[in-house]
Amino acid sequence: MPVTTLAAEKLLLQMVDDYTAREIAPQDMPMDAAGDFPAGFIQKLTDTGFLGLMLPQKFGGAGFGPEVTATALNHIAQGNASTAVTLEGHFKTIDQILKFGTPALQQQLLPSANDRIFAFSMTEASGGSNPMGISSTATREGDHWIITGDKIMITNGGLAQVYCVLVKTAPKELSVFVVDQDMPGFSFGKREDFIGLRGTPVGEIVMDHIVVDDDHLLGKLGDGGKIGDSAHDDARILMGAVLTGIMEHDLKIATDYAKERKAGDKPLTELQVTHRKVADIAMRKETTKLLYQRAAQLKAAGQPYSEEAAMAKAHGSRSAVSAGDDTLQILAGYGYSREYPVEHLIRDARAMEIAEGTVEKMRSAIANAEFSK
Amino acid sequence: MSKPELWVIAERRLDHVEPTTQQLITKAKSLASNQFKVVTILLEATTDHLENELTAYGPDEIRIVRDDRFPTATDAEHADALKQLVDAYQPNSILFGATITGRSIAPRLQAKLQTGLTADCLDLRFDDETLVATKPSYGDNIMCEIICPDHRPQMASVRPNTFVATPATGDATITTTTVTFHPVDRLKVTTARPVVNTATTVGDASRVVALGRGAASDASIDTATKLAEKLGGRIGVSRPLTDQDRFTHDDQIGQSGNTIHPELILNFGISGAVQYLVGMQDSQTIVAVNADPHAPIFDVADYGYVGDAQAFMAALLAQFN
Amino acid sequence: MKIVVCIKQVPETNDVTIDPVTHNLDRRGLAGVMNPFDKNAVEQALQLKDANNDAEVVLLSMGPDDYAESLREGMAMGADAGVLLSDRAFAGADTLATGYVIAQAVKQIGAVDLVLFGRQAVDADTGQVGPIVAEFLHQPQITYAASLRLSGPNEVTAERLLEDTKQTLVATLPAVVSVRSELNTPRYPTPRNIQLSFAKPLTVWHHDDLDLDDSRLGQAGSPTIVTKVYAPEPVKRELTPLTGTPTEAASQLIKALKHRQLI
Repeated sequence: MPVTTLAAEKLLLQMVDDYTAREIAPQDMPMDAAGDFPAGFIQKLTDTGFLGLMLPQKFGGAGFGPEVTATALNHIAQGNASTAVTLEGHFKTIDQILKFGTPALQQQLLPSANDRIFAFSMTEASGGSNPMGISSTATREGDHWIITGDKIMITNGGLAQVYCVLVKTAPKELSVFVVDQDMPGFSFGKREDFIGLRGTPVGEIVMDHIVVDDDHLLGKLGDGGKIGDSAHDDARILMGAVLTGIMEHDLKIATDYAKERKAGDKPLTELQVTHRKVADIAMRKETTKLLYQRAAQLKAAGQPYSEEAAMAKAHGSRSAVSAGDDTLQILAGYGYSREYPVEHLIRDARAMEIAEGTVEKMRSAIANAEFSK
Repeated sequence: MSKPELWVIAERRLDHVEPTTQQLITKAKSLASNQFKVVTILLEATTDHLENELTAYGPDEIRIVRDDRFPTATDAEHADALKQLVDAYQPNSILFGATITGRSIAPRLQAKLQTGLTADCLDLRFDDETLVATKPSYGDNIMCEIICPDHRPQMASVRPNTFVATPATGDATITTTTVTFHPVDRLKVTTARPVVNTATTVGDASRVVALGRGAASDASIDTATKLAEKLGGRIGVSRPLTDQDRFTHDDQIGQSGNTIHPELILNFGISGAVQYLVGMQDSQTIVAVNADPHAPIFDVADYGYVGDAQAFMAALLAQFN
Repeated sequence: MKIVVCIKQVPETNDVTIDPVTHNLDRRGLAGVMNPFDKNAVEQALQLKDANNDAEVVLLSMGPDDYAESLREGMAMGADAGVLLSDRAFAGADTLATGYVIAQAVKQIGAVDLVLFGRQAVDADTGQVGPIVAEFLHQPQITYAASLRLSGPNEVTAERLLEDTKQTLVATLPAVVSVRSELNTPRYPTPRNIQLSFAKPLTVWHHDDLDLDDSRLGQAGSPTIVTKVYAPEPVKRELTPLTGTPTEAASQLIKALKHRQLI
């Protein structure tokens, strides 16, 4: 890797750490309590250029690669996971436009991704995990497409201004269109009241006869399934990074506490029961980190990374829930208290056993990848 | 042969002498013994008599230069006048208060004289005629002893309130001398208005309620404010709390903030970094409350309670009421 | 208009220790970052640039080659160029010798209208180099500026808060200004500007690139010598424990303070 790239990545992470410590981490507890980002929080993140972190420079972004992008989200998540997940949702969407969009579509949309959050929406109330079960449609009318349907549980739903939506363009044909919140027929629905990642809005969009031209089709007709899978892959790498960040946070809380406290006359740091828990948290954190880094490396090298991305998220999500549980136990009563962040770290981690494909689905994907070797 | 001169540069605070000047005279006298002549250099207006606030501290001589431009002179103009005096009298050493003014003029003079200056010192001593200045660095975690062996005069600026001013007997000779005032046209003070300093620093308070990371909640700050009112004191904070918007450097206790010695300090939720402890250890009575029984603060405290700072403060306030 | 901002690279943390054997400062493992107070000076320069499009902001630092990192950081904040003064001959300089080389470099950069400094470095805490440079350049100085703006084609106006007085000063350029940390909040380098900063010029000047009097350089040109470095030791006292519930302990304290005639 060129020396300047390494130096730039070092400077980026230094800035991310500084920003996280001063602007993000202090909002971690308030955000969980309020169930939202504080006023001005996203604007400042935007003004500081975070939305363009991995966007190529020709679109006005910074053009950082997959590995350092994931590491940046790891570092942000050490301060607050919701902020990292909101960026994850934005980045995975940009990735799909970069992979599947025509140059014209990219030129039309991507420069605005420095200032506007993008979201990717697949899930519908009827759909479950089967994409073919969705009922949103895009139907041809003259030169246009008419999009109608209702998407739920969208990461950044309500916050994002641009949405990639999975729709049926024929009974057995899935395609992705890009719609904008300013288009006639677009409206926001209900926001979920989730137990974790409470800063990140997760919500619904309603599309009532939105009219778009062909140029708003992402990829080709029928590419929907492929694009959806790809979005999952990109999201899972970043989630592995976010989960690593949550575990770093757990580990810091656990070790700080153990270093300060005594049980009877013995410091907690001398108790084997503490050793075991702290070592387990550290190993879970480190294995997850290796997995997401491996997937990001493959992605950067242009190799297949779907299986590794699934591993990062599947292994990382259960690991982070367990790490939170162990941290809670070390802190005992304090860990169970809402005055400490441990309990919300568990709730935050728990989201990622479900989002972007359940752990069960991850395991099937990993197993199937192994069978096919 | 006359004794070499040890100078204290007097500094003005509105119509009075900056207290650091008096502190430095006391210190200079104790350093001088019979070896040096302690001379206070006073640049004042023709109608001023700031020397009246200095005689009580017993310098050997108060050497006055009068010019009506001095009260509003700029750093470079001050430094230029002092340079002329140094050339005329060849002092061994020059002490400044490490106030904003002192820290602005002293290095300018240093550059004119091409000599050594040690800034913001916490202690001074002489080894023969060599001034050994103790200067904190790395946020006061480290102390350095610095000398200037081959250049004269030796220069140091000393942090305010490091030494205690003590009135002394002895007749100060008052002399006047002249310099040529060279106005610097390229810099003008266009307005200068006194700041009614309601924000006294924690260094001026005789009773201090000090808060650290373990007592940083809104409730703790609220209780501490009431407690400080009851005691007729002021709130101070340890370094971590200066990150909060409501506290500034003026509120910070410790060698890197304000070195303090009140008659009473109550430390809540402060574990006690070295620079903090050294910065307040000369307080007469030290009380510490901290959840951690091993906090270093307990080593330097007269009274200590291991427990929740907020609960203790609330109980104390209730009993005052 | 050309603005030079002088910056220093300092250890990331001030938690340094003394090597018990050599009694030297143990700086191992301390990453270098831009002196936080210098970021206020960079920010001030960038605000002047924002208000005055033709302004050019050049960062100047003296130190080993790895000081390029903090110069790059300042360029990522938005400065246009960086100059690093790096030579073994400059090593061991105190404030006077540092001020001399910096002043010579400012002359070498040429046509500099304004030289900005942060209030002091967080490691050495001297705040001396600004006034020294001002003296060597024979320019007016404004220290501890609480605000700074261009008030004319060739003039800056600053506010300065002394212990007892708020001054407004007007300086004809060129001038040297050091700024208080309270005057602004430094901007973050954006990810994009971090990348773009690597296309900006960072020049390293060695001894021979400057017009220098060798007797004024490095250790030889430094009047001061550090003779001893140590960690301060607090004086211990005998502790009287307060015991029981907070209420009980508080009443013990009140009794003790009354006894000491403090209340």
